[in-house]
Amino acid sequence: MKLIKDKVAKLSFVALLVSLTAAMFYAPAASAHGEKSQAAFMRMRTIHWFDLNWSKEEVPVNETMTISGKFLVFAGWPETVDKPEVSFLNVGIPGPVFIRAGSWIGGQLVPRSVSLELGETYEFKVLLKARRPGDWHVHSMMNVQGGGPIIGPGKWVTITGSMRDFVNPVTTLTGQTIDLEHYALDNVYFWHAVWFAIAFAWLLFWIKRPLFVPRHIAVASGKADTLISAGDKKVAMLFGVGTLVVVAAAMGAANEKYPITTPLQAGLIRGMKTYQMPEATVSVKVDDATYRVPGRAMQMTLTITNNGDSAVRLGEFNTAGVRFLEPAVHEDETNYPDDLLAEEGLTVSDNSPLAPGETRTVEVTASDAAWEVYRLADLIYDPDSRFAGLLFFWDENGTRQMVTVDAPLIPSFI
Amino acid sequence: MSASQSAVRSRAEAVQVSRTFDWMILFTLFTAVLGGYHIHYMLTGGDWDFWTDWKDRRLWVTVAPIVSITFPAAVQACLWWRYRLPIGATLSVVALMIGEWINRYFNFWGWTYFPVNICFPSNLLPGAIVLDVILMLGNSMTLTAVVGGLAYGLLFYPGNWPIIAPLHVPVEYNGMMMTLADLQGYHYVRTGTPEYIRMVEKGTLRTFGKDVAPVSAFFSGFVSIIIYFLWHFFGRWFAKTDFISDDAT
Ligand SMILES: [Cu+2]
Repeated sequence: MKLIKDKVAKLSFVALLVSLTAAMFYAPAASAHGEKSQAAFMRMRTIHWFDLNWSKEEVPVNETMTISGKFLVFAGWPETVDKPEVSFLNVGIPGPVFIRAGSWIGGQLVPRSVSLELGETYEFKVLLKARRPGDWHVHSMMNVQGGGPIIGPGKWVTITGSMRDFVNPVTTLTGQTIDLEHYALDNVYFWHAVWFAIAFAWLLFWIKRPLFVPRHIAVASGKADTLISAGDKKVAMLFGVGTLVVVAAAMGAANEKYPITTPLQAGLIRGMKTYQMPEATVSVKVDDATYRVPGRAMQMTLTITNNGDSAVRLGEFNTAGVRFLEPAVHEDETNYPDDLLAEEGLTVSDNSPLAPGETRTVEVTASDAAWEVYRLADLIYDPDSRFAGLLFFWDENGTRQMVTVDAPLIPSFI
Repeated sequence: MSASQSAVRSRAEAVQVSRTFDWMILFTLFTAVLGGYHIHYMLTGGDWDFWTDWKDRRLWVTVAPIVSITFPAAVQACLWWRYRLPIGATLSVVALMIGEWINRYFNFWGWTYFPVNICFPSNLLPGAIVLDVILMLGNSMTLTAVVGGLAYGLLFYPGNWPIIAPLHVPVEYNGMMMTLADLQGYHYVRTGTPEYIRMVEKGTLRTFGKDVAPVSAFFSGFVSIIIYFLWHFFGRWFAKTDFISDDAT
């Protein structure tokens, strides 16, 4: 007897462990720090985020901030990633530390998925309302069906205050103003309590009597029918009919209380408004590009032709959200995240203004620890070892032009 | 321990040991079902059960009963044919829903801070109770599969509607109409669950106009019948290996 008892006790313990593990098994992804582990080519050749601006670095609970900017859907989108025909503008934050109070692409609200075109630039804005205090890394992010999340640059933002003060008032079309943070929660608890009570009553009705051994003996000896009495059947009827009655009554009451309801809304939004960048009059040809592993620097030989009517200078190279600036031409005034900004990271062998009609071949070096820190250098281990990025030129009037580059990259290990 | 040598000395002691046994087996069964059923349901029903903005009139109504009638059918097979205990379905669903509540409350809310009003579990209890009652009164697997399976599918939506109805009140948000449930899904950012993987209001039942929930429920009920048969047989097969081996009795 003791042996069996021990065995059952041991088994129970194992089962308890298994079930606890199961219960702990799943929690929605809390961390948004996948940015560095994402393949470099994904970040360099899919969505190019630029002109990003985080409106605040510190936000009290219940107040809002925005992330805004533009993104270019890269024309040289990699073959291995599904095209962004079904995409969703998201934010990379660790769970709902902010609520997304609004998000727009080209001025259109985008609570749904959208269809994006390769080679086009879009303007976006995400309005966030602070909910949970802490220091959070806030990223722009685009989810692409079949491609996964494409994480944009992130910046640390501090939320101050207390989550207990957070409110989320919403006015429904039926005229009530509710707090979505706690709305209908009592109703959820109430109905679950009711049904658990009914279920426990049914279980208790059976469990209170001797169970397995005597019942097994009775069934094994052909006396199974004696185990269910006429009284039991009456009680079962009561539970069966009672269940139907409660379901019907609750359903009726709910319909009376909420006469106006609509189905969930879903659907793809097409024809997003694109953002027209000024026509580029500069053309760039990449003659070659190498990445020097020891120097953490990328060197490109570019042949630049100015077809416009104002002299231009190269001021910025932007890839995967890392910005390499040539300080003589352009300085950042947006408080861009430090780790993604190489303020003096771009050197050009001859960056004197390139006159209209002139063509010049220059050596351009983009160097910064960010190549390593953001694991962009891992590009050289990718199956299709190409790099891509945005070059920004400024003319004499300070007008900016954007040119994309996309070329093979040769690593150099010495 | 052999058959010739009794482990207990008196009838009172035998009763007491048997009762201790009951509680141990019940506890083991409960926790094992909780673990297995919970994992099964998360893998098959997953997001449909996690989020209010997935609880639609088509796929949620169809999927949830079909994937959740499994363990109740199997546990019924064991408890009814071996012990004449009509609690298999209710016990399973109570175990599942307790596991779900632990997960939703402590992980979804406690750890990741999703409000409970977006991530509460679906209510599967009315169907489970009816399933047990039908098996007990009919004492027939076929009857339970056909009538019970159908009832299980049909009772799901009305059993949940009183809970989710308030979240289907429409709201105008920045020039778009959506339900409060949609708005919850939009507000409470899920980085790993982008909008497009939300499978709602998809399907080919358009010809039925706006009464899609009953049609989905009937369809779900029919498939539940088949799944019930299947898992009932699994249950019988598993129940062949018994705790109480012949030499112990
Ligand atoms: Cu981050």
